[in-house]
Amino acid sequence: MKGKRLLLGLMMTASAAASAWAQEAKDITVVLDEEVDLVEPCMATRSNIGRIILQNVSETLTELDVRNNKGLMPRLAESWEEASPGTWRFHLRKDAKFSDGSAFDAGDVKHSIERAMSDKISCESPRYFGDTKLETKVVDDNTIDITATPAQPILPLLMTLVTVVPAETPIEFTREPIGTGPYKLTEWKAGQSITLTRRDDYWGSAPEVTKATYVFRADPSVRAAMVAAGEADIAPLISELDANDAEMDFSYPNSETFYMRLDHSIPPLNDKRVRQALNMALDRDAFIGTLLPKGAIKATAIVPPTTLGWNPDVKVAPYDPEGAKKLLAEAKADGVPVETPITIVGRTNNFPNVVEVLEAAQQMFEEVGFKTKLQMYEVAEFEKQYSKPYPENRGPLLVAAQHDNARGDPVFSMYFKYDSNGRQSGIANPDVDKMIAEATAATGEARAADWKKLIAYLHDDVVADVLLFHMVGFARVNPRVDFTPTIATNSQLQLSEIHFK
Amino acid sequence: MGKKMMRRIVSSFFSLVALVVMVFFLSRLTGDPAALFLPIDATQEMLDQFRELHGLNDPLIQQFGRYVWDVLHLDFGDSIRKARPAIDVVLESFAWTLQLALITIALVTALAITIGSIAAFRPGGLFDRFVSLVSLVGASAPDFWIAIVGIVVFSITFGWVPTSGTGTVWHWILPVAVLFIRPFGLILQVVRGSMLTAFGSAYVKTARAKGVGNRSIIFIHTLRNAMLPVITVIGDQAAAMLNGAVVVETIFGFPGVGKLMIDSILQRDFNVILAAIMVTALAIFVMNLLIDIAYALLDPRLRT
Repeated sequence: MKGKRLLLGLMMTASAAASAWAQEAKDITVVLDEEVDLVEPCMATRSNIGRIILQNVSETLTELDVRNNKGLMPRLAESWEEASPGTWRFHLRKDAKFSDGSAFDAGDVKHSIERAMSDKISCESPRYFGDTKLETKVVDDNTIDITATPAQPILPLLMTLVTVVPAETPIEFTREPIGTGPYKLTEWKAGQSITLTRRDDYWGSAPEVTKATYVFRADPSVRAAMVAAGEADIAPLISELDANDAEMDFSYPNSETFYMRLDHSIPPLNDKRVRQALNMALDRDAFIGTLLPKGAIKATAIVPPTTLGWNPDVKVAPYDPEGAKKLLAEAKADGVPVETPITIVGRTNNFPNVVEVLEAAQQMFEEVGFKTKLQMYEVAEFEKQYSKPYPENRGPLLVAAQHDNARGDPVFSMYFKYDSNGRQSGIANPDVDKMIAEATAATGEARAADWKKLIAYLHDDVVADVLLFHMVGFARVNPRVDFTPTIATNSQLQLSEIHFK
Repeated sequence: MGKKMMRRIVSSFFSLVALVVMVFFLSRLTGDPAALFLPIDATQEMLDQFRELHGLNDPLIQQFGRYVWDVLHLDFGDSIRKARPAIDVVLESFAWTLQLALITIALVTALAITIGSIAAFRPGGLFDRFVSLVSLVGASAPDFWIAIVGIVVFSITFGWVPTSGTGTVWHWILPVAVLFIRPFGLILQVVRGSMLTAFGSAYVKTARAKGVGNRSIIFIHTLRNAMLPVITVIGDQAAAMLNGAVVVETIFGFPGVGKLMIDSILQRDFNVILAAIMVTALAIFVMNLLIDIAYALLDPRLRT
């Protein structure tokens, strides 16, 4: 009897303690899939960092709205215009302040751009600018001219990727980010958690969430369990297997496109009929709802449908094994070495079921007459196959990869994937190079039309690669929280978008 | 004894140096940190700048010379991923692993020795059979499965303990319990076997004949003699834990050194890999010394 009482007492104490790790009313806990090593603002385009600090701590001049489909919106810049060819003038907010109390002005923007582009620090931002060089000129405290060489028609969009820090920030990675955003970083327990606390002196309207604590759990089941147990409110990334509660779980396009990059320089992949046969050999529908989640969309471009210039007229190659066999026979008759073994290169843990998906694709290729082998690599080895300089004597490769573009414009993808000098390009086609250059330089409707044309040309005429699926992710959200994940959730999680029921 | 210790210290030092040299060169053959740190569509200019910033363009032997010189000045370099001193990162993580290992191994040792000794006293009895079954299941159960089941049952279904993380004493219960099961099963089996052998020896029979009580026979006369193989196994298990309990750390979000090492290897964060190897190797070396001392205390023949 005494033992039973003791046990009961222990259970009650444990239950009481359990309530201690539940959430305060307007505080939330977000459980992320990987530990954050840095919270450096110039690295905020990296998804694990961006989810914490982008627009929460560190803001940008402009912001791409995908939630309400409003396109490019003002943030720290109230407005902007092209002052002269290549030069954009940004008119800045007068009421913004950094969390250290200092005022925000054009000098901060100038320093932030120079810092992000500096060769003394390895920021991510320069990758979005390629060979474009930026010069800044402070017109007055609230006006700045930014000149891009060569002229950059989407400079205001590119400014969504440059976070603003105070002019005093040294050119080295900081562990104490100071920003103009609605939150400030108040605690960082290395390897355990990061806490953001709402600012009272934020220039915009005050968000509902008062405090956000980010914790890190590598296992998707644990992330899902934390939300189910009330220990966390949002798990932006859980596995499909764990997404089994309709009340809490959401699927959303995660901005990743899964495709197989073909190396056009090596036979038999240099023959268009062979590339068409590869596309026709795949029964894409068979993957959806089986090895891949139901929400996956068959891809006709390397960018998701929310991107400028996405072409609805381009159709997925039909599943036609007989047609594929016929094309292969024609190619063989013309001396194309179609029986050369082709290596399918995949990345371990790229996404759930990646091995099974590639094995199924391999089976479908073999059924129409291809000889293939599957080779899985961990990320560092995979990178050697995926990016130039490609290995010598490599033989024909199908490199299966995911590409992420939630930035709203194909320019962030097309050069890298299809230009002759692109680091992950499998083709060297002067017509494609010209089209990319033209679209990159175009503005407005002409830009959308140019990208649309390029997407159709790559898919239908060049048959550049085997485009597979626009992927979906799964998130679990505690029912007390009013938040719906979007395509942007892969790269940022604005606390101001989170409300309570 | 002193000479033996000195010999062990010298041989351990050379082993550590050989290990560091091997890991330094082998890890650099496995991939380029620039390609892993920077995004996959980074420009060539960015990659070149990164390598220059981190001294990765220099010849390997020059990098090694610089590393050795810095280590001799107690500078273990910076973590590329975390932009802070590698040794700080490792020591923070190791503190978690050390706590986890010490708590677990202390519990395992106390319980396995007590229960194993009692079970061996009446071999084939109900208690012995039950203990053998439980210990065999424990020794062979996969950590990962136990951890997930533990979370589902004790955190989600009953809500008794948190699913994961750190912060309160309640957060330690599941990770320690999961980490406990396998070495407990293993050590209990060794204790039982060793005690069975000891119970059959002449001095136990003499003690019984002289009317010595069961408790004294088990815990005073037999246990000390049966402890040598047990200490060896405890040492092995503790060494494995000091290297990091990767599964437990990963599932329960414990920021320990095992997960840190795996992440650092995957990210080619060389300075962290090397610092972690040095710290864990040093810890294992200290533990081996303690085991030697324990042997000597238990067996007077080893003191000469």
